[in-house]
Amino acid sequence: MNRDLHLTVRSDPKLLASVRSLVRSWVNSWEVDEKTADEVVLAIDEACTNAIRHAYEGRRDGSVELTLHAAEKHLEFQVSDSGVPCPPECTERRPLHPPDVDDMQPGGLGIQLIHKVFDEVDFCPGVSGGNCVTMKLKRSK
Amino acid sequence: MGLTIEKSQSSDGSLIRVVGEVDLYSSPELRKAILKAIPSADGGLAIDLESVTYIDSSGVATLVEGLRSAREHDVGFVLVAPSPAVRQVLELARLDSIFEVR
Repeated sequence: MNRDLHLTVRSDPKLLASVRSLVRSWVNSWEVDEKTADEVVLAIDEACTNAIRHAYEGRRDGSVELTLHAAEKHLEFQVSDSGVPCPPECTERRPLHPPDVDDMQPGGLGIQLIHKVFDEVDFCPGVSGGNCVTMKLKRSK
Repeated sequence: MGLTIEKSQSSDGSLIRVVGEVDLYSSPELRKAILKAIPSADGGLAIDLESVTYIDSSGVATLVEGLRSAREHDVGFVLVAPSPAVRQVLELARLDSIFEVR
């Protein structure tokens, strides 16, 4: 049985709570511990937030597409948009903030959380412009 | 579920109680409440996070901005009873050590 989940939502921050709820139900249908499930929900929310804030620059009429797919060895999550492409330097993995509030740079925390949560993260241009991020979580045996 | 923000004042200082989910949709409201409260929070500002069921990076960034603004105004800024959801994200972001927690 194909248990993939495909979802297209408007780039409206109001809809993020519903997206989180759907992602959580899907993740909970696999053998994922609660803490990891919390982190996955957060990271997918961050990917959608990036699409809304940066790719669509806060516009609410864009669309954000999510695909959740269970492969044999990993759970794969894809979030794509047709907005402004992110500069590659913004999506690089960097060490998380030093614990000194004055050294912290605003923004970019969401991307680093995504890197931290998943085993594999790939940011690439979308098929029809925009952005596409693919995130993989190894499945426990 | 949404977000509820309750403000109160006692002899210990100002308190903002946050209930519900802090995300891209709701964090601007929290940001506004915190930044507005700081200049007049003579006895310090405490943010009660016990009933926060979800927080994302925009919520965490709001708390960091609050901490910075409080320092500029020489006002104390503490997090009160952060819920497991808040602790988990602060630890993941490695920001758990920058806040004073009560």
